[in-house]
Amino acid sequence: MGLETKVPSGILLTSVEKFVGWSRAGSLWPATFGLACCAIEMMSTGAAHYDLSRFGMEVFRGSPRQADLMIVAGRVSQKMAPVIRNLYDQMADPKWVIAMGVCASTGGMFNNYAIVQGVDHVIPVDMYVPGCPPRPEMLMDGILKLHEKIKAGQLVERPRKHESMQDFRRRTGWIDPVDEPSADQRTHLPQVPA
Amino acid sequence: MHGGEQAADIAGRELDVALPPHLRALATRLTAAFEMLQVSGFRHELTVLAPADRIVELLTFCRDEPDLRCELLADLSGVHWPGGKRTESAQETTGWPSYEFGDEAGRIEVDYVLYSLTHGHRFRLRVELPDDDPVMPTATGVYGAANFMEREVYDFFGVQFEGHPNLVRILMPDDWDGFPLRKDYPLGGVDVQYKGATIPPPDQRHY
Amino acid sequence: MSQTRTPATSGAGWQDADEPADGRRLTPAIPSEHTVVGGDWQELPDAVEDDLMVINMGPQHPSTHGVLRMLLTLDGETVLDNQAVIGYLHTGIEKNTEYRPWVQGVTFVTRMDYLSPLFNELGYCMAVEKLLDIADQVPERAQAIRVIVTELVRVASHLVWLATSGLELGSTTAMIFGFREREGILDVLEHVTGLRMNHAYIRPGGLAMDLPDDFSERVGTLLTAMKTRIDEFEVLLTENPIWVERNSGVGVLSAEQCLDLGVTGPILRSAGIAHDLRKAHPYCGIEQYEFAIPTADTADAYGRFQVRVAEMRESLKIVRQAVDGLPTGPVMVADRKIAWPAQLGLGPDGIGNTEEYVGKIMGQSMEALIHHFKLVTEGFTVPEGQVYIAVESPRGELGYHVTSSGTNKPYRVKVRDPSFIHIGVLQAVTHGLSVSDVIAAVASLDPVMGGVDR
Repeated sequence: MGLETKVPSGILLTSVEKFVGWSRAGSLWPATFGLACCAIEMMSTGAAHYDLSRFGMEVFRGSPRQADLMIVAGRVSQKMAPVIRNLYDQMADPKWVIAMGVCASTGGMFNNYAIVQGVDHVIPVDMYVPGCPPRPEMLMDGILKLHEKIKAGQLVERPRKHESMQDFRRRTGWIDPVDEPSADQRTHLPQVPA
Repeated sequence: MHGGEQAADIAGRELDVALPPHLRALATRLTAAFEMLQVSGFRHELTVLAPADRIVELLTFCRDEPDLRCELLADLSGVHWPGGKRTESAQETTGWPSYEFGDEAGRIEVDYVLYSLTHGHRFRLRVELPDDDPVMPTATGVYGAANFMEREVYDFFGVQFEGHPNLVRILMPDDWDGFPLRKDYPLGGVDVQYKGATIPPPDQRHY
Repeated sequence: MSQTRTPATSGAGWQDADEPADGRRLTPAIPSEHTVVGGDWQELPDAVEDDLMVINMGPQHPSTHGVLRMLLTLDGETVLDNQAVIGYLHTGIEKNTEYRPWVQGVTFVTRMDYLSPLFNELGYCMAVEKLLDIADQVPERAQAIRVIVTELVRVASHLVWLATSGLELGSTTAMIFGFREREGILDVLEHVTGLRMNHAYIRPGGLAMDLPDDFSERVGTLLTAMKTRIDEFEVLLTENPIWVERNSGVGVLSAEQCLDLGVTGPILRSAGIAHDLRKAHPYCGIEQYEFAIPTADTADAYGRFQVRVAEMRESLKIVRQAVDGLPTGPVMVADRKIAWPAQLGLGPDGIGNTEEYVGKIMGQSMEALIHHFKLVTEGFTVPEGQVYIAVESPRGELGYHVTSSGTNKPYRVKVRDPSFIHIGVLQAVTHGLSVSDVIAAVASLDPVMGGVDR
């Protein structure tokens, strides 16, 4: 996950996390992923009247490999779903997804054979912005809340309040060397307790 | 229902009422050239029912004949009338009406709307096909616009157009099963979930 | 697999130079025979033998106007074959309308061609009115307002076209200008309908609600501003050498090819045929307004640009005349069995039933309450039959082929969307162009994928 993979283990970073969160949120580049009507409102949000440039986001990257944020703007059809997954996988970590509009959030008014009922069936979503289509101000509100979420992000997993070390280890996939499985049982995936 | 069954007894009387004079003249012209056509009028629109095997000839006639000169194929669409009795949303609680209708045999109508820029007239050619085996010749040799439109009718109703250069699905994914706009194909969709309750999609509701 | 087809062959062909037929030029300046190749998945070229490259453009691409996928077979940079793959935005709207009452079809249908939503609504409502046989009972004020809002939407749609085409060809300024102008129009539409897009304002029988009181002042301000803004656009683009170079001679589609392939709208007008449904089969009382049909001779992308800019000016003229001559009266048919019962107005929490109306149905008139209930839950029933109605949307002939089986829900709503037909001409339009010209050509066709895929 981006910088997270580079942090040596066993070290807590607080100011660095704040700095990283601030810089990530400061210039979050969206990928052009407008599908339907919400795309037009997204373009309006990026245009002069409701300016996304003041958040450093006016550069809509054509290539998902250069983008941080995928704003799924519009209804996701069954034919488009594998394409979205492909594009999401092409994005480099760290990446976030905004499901813009009700069609991307839940399928919207189109509860039928052709529309995936919410893009979260296909990719993980960080922020849902309702509306049909959401006004540019609503989209910006969603983006700003996402900024808050990004700024509050953590680089290193730390134990939550009132969480025991054992639970913490289990949650983060720590494998105790004593309990390491034998060679024939070992897989490359971390052991997730049942 | 409409079209085929009614056209036979509509004949001259209702045509006079329903159609403006230039369409009536058009209808006369068409039936003079092709005797097997059945014409009908509704809301000032002319509908001509044609057999599937003569449709290409008829379309070429409409396109090339100077009096008709239909340069534009405006629309090519399908309607599915399934066979047997069918109730349309029998609603018990609110007393919504329940409609019963149905033919003995199901049919798929393919409608061609032809428009002439020179004469300014527009009329409809209709072909009725059995819905278990809808096959008919393609119109792509007459109008290039029919290419995509016939693919769409195939995609949604399963009508096979013989001679079409590329009869594959156009709007649905290539490997989709079934023909969505047929009446026996469900709307699809999921139950809408609320806290503690669900509402089924519209084609399965009973209210 | 190639097919040589001569549209409208000998005898009744469109080459009759001595039959101009209402002054419309039917003789194209370009040879009438064209060969349409391709169209088969099985026939992708052999990489080694043919030395051709198959490149996939889309469905996610900054320049393809939405989720359009084009499989280009290239010889170097020249396009030999262009297979368009569509369906990435297929929403099943036509099937959805079969399960909802007639009035609710408006909200579905408005989301198809999302750049010109009111045209979708207009076509649908006109088809329903024709089936109901109340087309002549729709009040004049409703017709005039329909004309006003649809022409404003036409301008907005052409502005988006200009903005996105400009952006695709490299002019970010055009994008900013276009969307800025559009905000002005959307402000007016929001004032009238409550929404910036997908308004659901035009209902069968009339409109959802009447205009607000200060409408004419707002529209007056808008019209004055728009005039200078369109001039700015012209200054930016019309004689811009880059724009001219990139658009001239690109995407040529002769008049005959257009008619054979079912192309209407600005593309047909750019080929010289002055065919506009607003003049040929006027609707909504548009014949009382004076406007011209701009055409171009070049049948290329630049011609289409000229046609669209001129159309924007004509639309503003129509709006001016309509606002000046706006008749008074109701905005919904008088027939209580069809008219949407609720009197909508702007309240503290948005648009909804007005206080007086709620008081009337809850307190005063039982009959009105029953009426309201029945119409809102069940809706009205429409007699059996099938009609075809076409309106002139910004992209071309938007047709509605609506079938009713006599119930309160539509039986089949087939929408003849112009963009769907125009995607079918991609092969003819882009054959022999370079890849960058493909972008200009597709942009000039102005496809909106919501309409293509429905």
